[in-house]
Amino acid sequence: MGEGLGMSRNRLLRRLAGLGAAALLALAGCSRGTDAPPTQLQLLNAARGSVGQIARKARGTAAPTRPPLTRAALDTVTVPVLEVTVERRDDWAFLFRTLERSDSSPGRIEQWNTEDSNVTLSLRNGVLIATRGLGGDLLSSAVQVVDGQPGPASGGEHLQMIRNLDYRETALTLSCELVDLGPETIEIVERRHATHHLQQRCEGGGGRVVNDYWTDPRAGIIWKSRQWAGPHLGYLSLRRLVK
Amino acid sequence: MSQPILRCRRSGAALLRAAAAAVVLAGAVATQGISQNLAEDGALPPDIGSEEPSFTPLPATSLNFYGSPGGIDMPSAEMLPDGTFATTLSGFGGQNRITLTFQATPWMSGSFRYHQMRNLNLFGFKTYYDRSFDVRFRLWREGRYRPQVALGLQDFSGTGLFGAEYIVASKSFRTPAWGGLARDGGRLMLTGGVGWGRLGSYNSIGSLGRRPTYSGATSRGGEPSYDQWFRGPYALFGGLEWRPNDKLGLKLEYSSDTYVTETQTTSSFTRRSPFNFGVEYQWKPATRLGAYYLYGSEIGLSAQIQLNPRHPVTRLAVPAPYPVQPREQWAGPPESWDTAWVDSGETLQGLRARLAETLKRDGLVLESLEVGAETAELRYRNPRYTAQAAAVGRAARALAATMPASVETFRLVPVSDGMALSAVILRRSDLEALEFDPRSSAALLAVAGFADAAGKPGPTAMAGPGLYPDFSWSVVQYASPSYFDPSLPFRLDLGVDLRATYRPAPGWRISGKLRQRVWGNIKDGRLSNSVLAHVRTDATLYAQEATTLENLYVARQWRPGRNLYARLSLGYFEAMYGGLSGEILWKPVGSRLGLGLEGNYVIQRDYDQRFGFQDYDVFTGHASAYLDLGKGYAAQVDVGRYLAGDVGATFSIDRTFANGWSFGGFFSQTNVSAADFGEGSFDKGLRFRIPLSSLLGKPSRAGLGLVIRPVQRDGGQRVHVPGRLYDQVREAHRSGLEAEWARVWE
Repeated sequence: MGEGLGMSRNRLLRRLAGLGAAALLALAGCSRGTDAPPTQLQLLNAARGSVGQIARKARGTAAPTRPPLTRAALDTVTVPVLEVTVERRDDWAFLFRTLERSDSSPGRIEQWNTEDSNVTLSLRNGVLIATRGLGGDLLSSAVQVVDGQPGPASGGEHLQMIRNLDYRETALTLSCELVDLGPETIEIVERRHATHHLQQRCEGGGGRVVNDYWTDPRAGIIWKSRQWAGPHLGYLSLRRLVK
Repeated sequence: MSQPILRCRRSGAALLRAAAAAVVLAGAVATQGISQNLAEDGALPPDIGSEEPSFTPLPATSLNFYGSPGGIDMPSAEMLPDGTFATTLSGFGGQNRITLTFQATPWMSGSFRYHQMRNLNLFGFKTYYDRSFDVRFRLWREGRYRPQVALGLQDFSGTGLFGAEYIVASKSFRTPAWGGLARDGGRLMLTGGVGWGRLGSYNSIGSLGRRPTYSGATSRGGEPSYDQWFRGPYALFGGLEWRPNDKLGLKLEYSSDTYVTETQTTSSFTRRSPFNFGVEYQWKPATRLGAYYLYGSEIGLSAQIQLNPRHPVTRLAVPAPYPVQPREQWAGPPESWDTAWVDSGETLQGLRARLAETLKRDGLVLESLEVGAETAELRYRNPRYTAQAAAVGRAARALAATMPASVETFRLVPVSDGMALSAVILRRSDLEALEFDPRSSAALLAVAGFADAAGKPGPTAMAGPGLYPDFSWSVVQYASPSYFDPSLPFRLDLGVDLRATYRPAPGWRISGKLRQRVWGNIKDGRLSNSVLAHVRTDATLYAQEATTLENLYVARQWRPGRNLYARLSLGYFEAMYGGLSGEILWKPVGSRLGLGLEGNYVIQRDYDQRFGFQDYDVFTGHASAYLDLGKGYAAQVDVGRYLAGDVGATFSIDRTFANGWSFGGFFSQTNVSAADFGEGSFDKGLRFRIPLSSLLGKPSRAGLGLVIRPVQRDGGQRVHVPGRLYDQVREAHRSGLEAEWARVWE
């Protein structure tokens, strides 16, 4: 009897040890120092991250909704703000201008960053020439612009260097024609802008791309645009909320 | 003339292998360009519901039960997209197969298969497990009227139980789409071929000589069974596949395999008809599922998982880098840039601190900084990015953001465990001028310099603030698998590893790993029957203890001279061996060739993997040649003495993609006879690595890798010494950096 009890206690202990070990396996994982964490730990951390995401989704707290914008609120902002929407992902952000410069090619370059600086867009006279931090980014572009005139200045070749998912660079050459669709008044958050609608119709890489620009040539600004950022990102919608 | 022929015959196997390798190498270089150009013009049909240019691949070629492109049990002449890793699980009538296929070049693929036959009751096994290798070549591509033609060798070495050779032609025709969305319309594929071996066993129409029979009792397998190839009866097979849309596939085929062993010698299943039928569905972009009715009696199922390094499941998104702000914007015209700051120690230390902080945001570690009025040399560690070019770009941006305006030349020196790997020289004004250039990557490459880095930082260099002594540790779970035991093909150990690394000064490393197993069944595996010294086959004995010291060693690496790299290690290198190891490598930064020499004196460790040793010791070492063949292909030859005292050479070839995916194979020929070697006849295997960054979408240098040896024996085995030089050096040299250069501005 006593022996039998001893055995079952042993078995119980072994089972408890097994459970403890399983818990240890599930929880183990930490690292300190300048070395990168070991492979298994990086995997474990990623798994933890996605479990957290699933849990948040289950609790219904995922994906913050876009806050309602009012002109009154925007009027309190004193720096230029650009709103970008990645249409394919239905993802959006407010961008702030961090760099203005020119180089040997025509046009004025502006770089716009998200608040955490993790994503940047670069525009040349308002035409998208590079993205960073989105994945499958547009590395660089050759666009047809001339100094002092917002938006594309003419049709012709529009070259995009795409960073592919295998990290190689692929050149995508689009041949475009520029169509002037005339004056158009648009509204951006309770404010109306008189603009000129330019449409760039491009073909290349086995498909078709249409970029739209609503420009104000006198103010030298593009109030709104919808531009294609390459096959991995698709179309981006840009709105200038604060001049 | 007769002499060479005789010689040929004697070493036929070796020659065939050499010829195959030569074909692989030549073709790899010759045809790779074509397929890349095809991919680069981006001419894929747009995605459904969109007109945009697309790089999304078309639905995958479907695979047969042997994991090769084809119908159900028969092959077709199709090839997978270049670089594809495919895993196929299939089963019918007690025949279960798992196949790994790699499309090594656009015109050649290789497969490794593990086959389970239930209720076979042959060769002393109730359930019989078999490993086999296939290789397939495309002979010519499909033209407008001409079909594509391929030649395949199935189970060309090993036991030959599944041995078959075939020449097959396939032609595709466009059809109207039906029943769903079709990016490229409907497609009908017609296939017909002639097969030998298994594929010549039903309704043969002729015979070419006599095919030597396979004997399960005497054959050790492993060597190419070239005496069987295209011998004996041959028969015709054929089939058709209709893919009316992107998801669905319907298959019909006529099989020329009678399954003699399975249905006549024993009765695993009954074969009533040569016709097979199937329906397949693309469930996920990478996964295709199929259900089939085979041989008039059996239901079959398959799952085909195809991963392509060019189109990883998760896309990598890296936080955007700092912009390079032109100096004119913040420092005025160049005439006004002063250099008096060079004499202020305080300023220099401030620069170092700011730079270290800036690098840290990007995951880089400052090893040392030497600044003059016009040049800065930064030595840094890159624990984060697979691509050294990405680290180069980030480091250059960090320098541009922190250095005074007069500093014009940046020398960027990536360092691995204290050893300088190369120097990338960039002019700051080029960075400023080219950041928004239409072709910024190519433009920067054209003006970048690549040079050998000095062994040590200069006399005025400042070390990374508070870096040495440097201590890192981690506790993390591990899983250690073991494959192909005939009684249980998959075994596993699970537990926790404690690792610690202490670096007292640059170039020195003291490292150890303690392992605690929590659960596992590798210890119940089979014992060695090797007639050689048991240098690798005692894995079961080594798995008996739960707490083991995996390694504990001191290593020093340094640069003994120009283009030279050296390492000396002492301690317990791995679970089975400890001792002394020295290595020297010659590899100029711009050279595609590297030459190395390694010598080791090692003693076999006790089975309990504490501090004791057994009484087996050996001098082992190799002279190695590493050749970068371009386009991601690399070849390596090692000649020397192996652990069992055998002498010979190892040949390997690997293909690495720019994002770090790699796949390769190797084999060794030593003076151990096939009989002494045992099952498999000689050492060989496949290896692959999938970088974590393409699974997680975050930058990481870690990866999941696997070396698959069909059989682990004792011949042709090497000691695993941590920190071999070539892998540290290669990716920071010119061709390694160029391959990933698209990431330099990322």
